Amino acid sequence: MKFGRSWLPAHILAWLYAALLVVPLYYLLVSAFKTNDQIFGSPFSPPASLSPDNFGEAFSSAHLGPAVVNSAFVTALALALTLALAVPAAFAIARSEGRLGALVERVFSLGFLVPTFAALFPTFLLAAGTGLFHTRAFMVLFLPATAMPLSVVILVQFMRTIPREMEEAARIDGASTFAVLRHVYTPMCMPGIATILLLNFLTFWNEYLYSLVIIGPDPEQRTVQVALPTLKSLTGTDYGILTAGTLLTLVPVWVVYTVLQKRMQQALVSGAVKM
Amino acid sequence: MPTLSPAPDGTSVRLPAPPTPWPAAATRRTQGGVVLAVPALVWYLVFMVGPLVAIFVIAALHWPGMLQPISFAGLGNVRTVLDDPVFWDAARNTATQLVVALPLMIVAAYMLGYYVAQRPPGHRALRYLLFIPGLISTPAKAMVFYAVLSPDGLLNGGLEKTGLGSLTDAWLASPSTALACLILLDVWSGIGFTAVLFAARLGSVPDEIGEAAQLDGAGHWRAMWRIHFPVIRDFVGVVTMLQFLWTLFGSAQNVLLLTQGGPGSSSTTLSFLVYQKAFIAADLGYSQTVGVVLFLAGLAGLLTIRRVFRQNY
Repeated sequence: MKFGRSWLPAHILAWLYAALLVVPLYYLLVSAFKTNDQIFGSPFSPPASLSPDNFGEAFSSAHLGPAVVNSAFVTALALALTLALAVPAAFAIARSEGRLGALVERVFSLGFLVPTFAALFPTFLLAAGTGLFHTRAFMVLFLPATAMPLSVVILVQFMRTIPREMEEAARIDGASTFAVLRHVYTPMCMPGIATILLLNFLTFWNEYLYSLVIIGPDPEQRTVQVALPTLKSLTGTDYGILTAGTLLTLVPVWVVYTVLQKRMQQALVSGAVKM
Repeated sequence: MPTLSPAPDGTSVRLPAPPTPWPAAATRRTQGGVVLAVPALVWYLVFMVGPLVAIFVIAALHWPGMLQPISFAGLGNVRTVLDDPVFWDAARNTATQLVVALPLMIVAAYMLGYYVAQRPPGHRALRYLLFIPGLISTPAKAMVFYAVLSPDGLLNGGLEKTGLGSLTDAWLASPSTALACLILLDVWSGIGFTAVLFAARLGSVPDEIGEAAQLDGAGHWRAMWRIHFPVIRDFVGVVTMLQFLWTLFGSAQNVLLLTQGGPGSSSTTLSFLVYQKAFIAADLGYSQTVGVVLFLAGLAGLLTIRRVFRQNY
C-alpha cells in the first residue's frame, strides 16, 4: 500500500540510473572476451567463447604482473604503517583530558579540509629531496599521512566508548601504558580498526595521481592504476584488451566488497559522517 | 571480533575529574598519553602540511624548470597568471563544472537516497549497485568512459545501429562536448555513492517523523523536502563539501586520462592547469600560483557551503 501508483516514476528513475551503472560494466565484462570486430559488430551480445586471450595479452603488454605485486606491496605496507601511527595517536587523544589532547584532535579533524591533491608538486619535491623519487617506498611513507585525519578521528570515536574502569583494572594489575594500549584498547576497538583498514584499502589500492607522478612509468615499480591507462596508448583501440585489463584491476576490490559489503558500506558512510 | 557495547556511563555525562583512588596513575596517564600522538602528528605535518605551505612559497618564485635557476618573483607570477587567457578559460571551465555538476549530483542523490531509505521492493539490490562507483578507481572509471565515448566506442556504435548516425561525434575530442563529457562522468559516478550516504543518514531519522507527516496528509514530495531535508540539512552540507572538494581538486585526474585539457583549452580545469604547468610545461611558479588560487577557491567554497547549509530549525 505504501508504494502506490504515485511511486511509479520514482521506481523507473531509480532503476534507470542503476541501469546506467550496470550497462557499462556489463559492456566491460563481455568486451573483455571479444575481439574489436565482435565488440563493434555486436556490443551487447554475450561473448562467443570465454577465451582468456585478452587477459593474457593485457597482462603482458602492460606488465600487469609486477604492477599487481607493486600495488599489493604499497597497499599492505601503507596500511600497516597507518595502523602503527593512528592507533597510538587515537589512544592518546581519547584518554587525554588536557588542552593539548584537544588541540591535537582539532588539528586532525581540520585535516579533512586539506584536499589530498592540492600539494602534488611540493610532494614531488619532497620525494626528490629525500632521494626516494621513483620508488614505491615514498608512497608507502606518504599514503598513511593522507589517511591520518580520517583514521585518527574514527578511532578516537571508538576508543571514547571504552569504559575507564577497564584501564583502571589493568593498572591495578601493574600494566604499563603500552600494555593498556595493547591488551585493553586495541582488542576492544577492533571494529574501528576494521573500518579504517577497509576505507584505506580502497583509497590506497585506487590511488592514481601521486603514484603516477612519484613512482613514474617504470614497469618494475609502478602500480596497477598507473599501468592500466597505458593499455590505451599502447594498443591503440584494442578494446578487448583494455577492458580485460580494467577488469583485472577491479577484482581485488570487488572480492573484498562482495565478502564484506555491509561492513564496507558502514565504513565509507562513517568516513563521511565523522567529519 | 568482539562486539562493542557503548559505555553505560556515556562520555558526555562523565564528571570532569573522576575521583580515582590512584591519582599518581592518573597524572602519568595523561602525560604518557599525548607523547603517543607525536609520530602521527609529525607524519602529518611533514607529508601534508609542509607541502601545503610550500605551495605558497613556490608561488612567489620564478622557477622555469626543475634544473633552472630560481629567483624571487614576488607577485610577478600572479600578474602572469591573470594575464593568461588559458587561466581564464580554466577558471570558467571549473566554474561551469561546479555549477552544473554539484547541484545536479546533490539533488539527484538526495532524492535517490530518500527513495532507497523508504525500503521499496529491491532496495537491497539497488543499494549494492549504487555503491559500485565508490569502489572503482579513477583510471578504471575513465577507461569505462573512454570505451563508451571514443570515436568507435559504444555510444557511436549504438547511434549508427539505430539509424542516428548523423548524431555521432568524437565526444571527447570535440571542443563543444569534451567538458560536458567530464561533467557527465562526475555526475554519473557521484550520484550513486552520494545516494548511499544519504540513505544511510536518512535511515537513522526516526520513523515517527515520516508517519506523523503522512497522518497530516503530506505527500511524499513534501515529506522529502519539507520534513526529512531539514532534519539532515547539516549532513547534506558535509556531503556537499566533500563533493565540492573532490570536483574542484580531483578533476585533474579525469582531464589527464580522457582529454588532456583539449582540444585547445576547452576542457582545461584549474586543477589540471596546476598539473600541466608543473609536469608538462615546467613553469613551476605559475603552476603553484594557480595552486594558491585553487586553495583559496576551495576555502571560499567551503565557507559558502557551510553558511548555506547551516542548521536552522
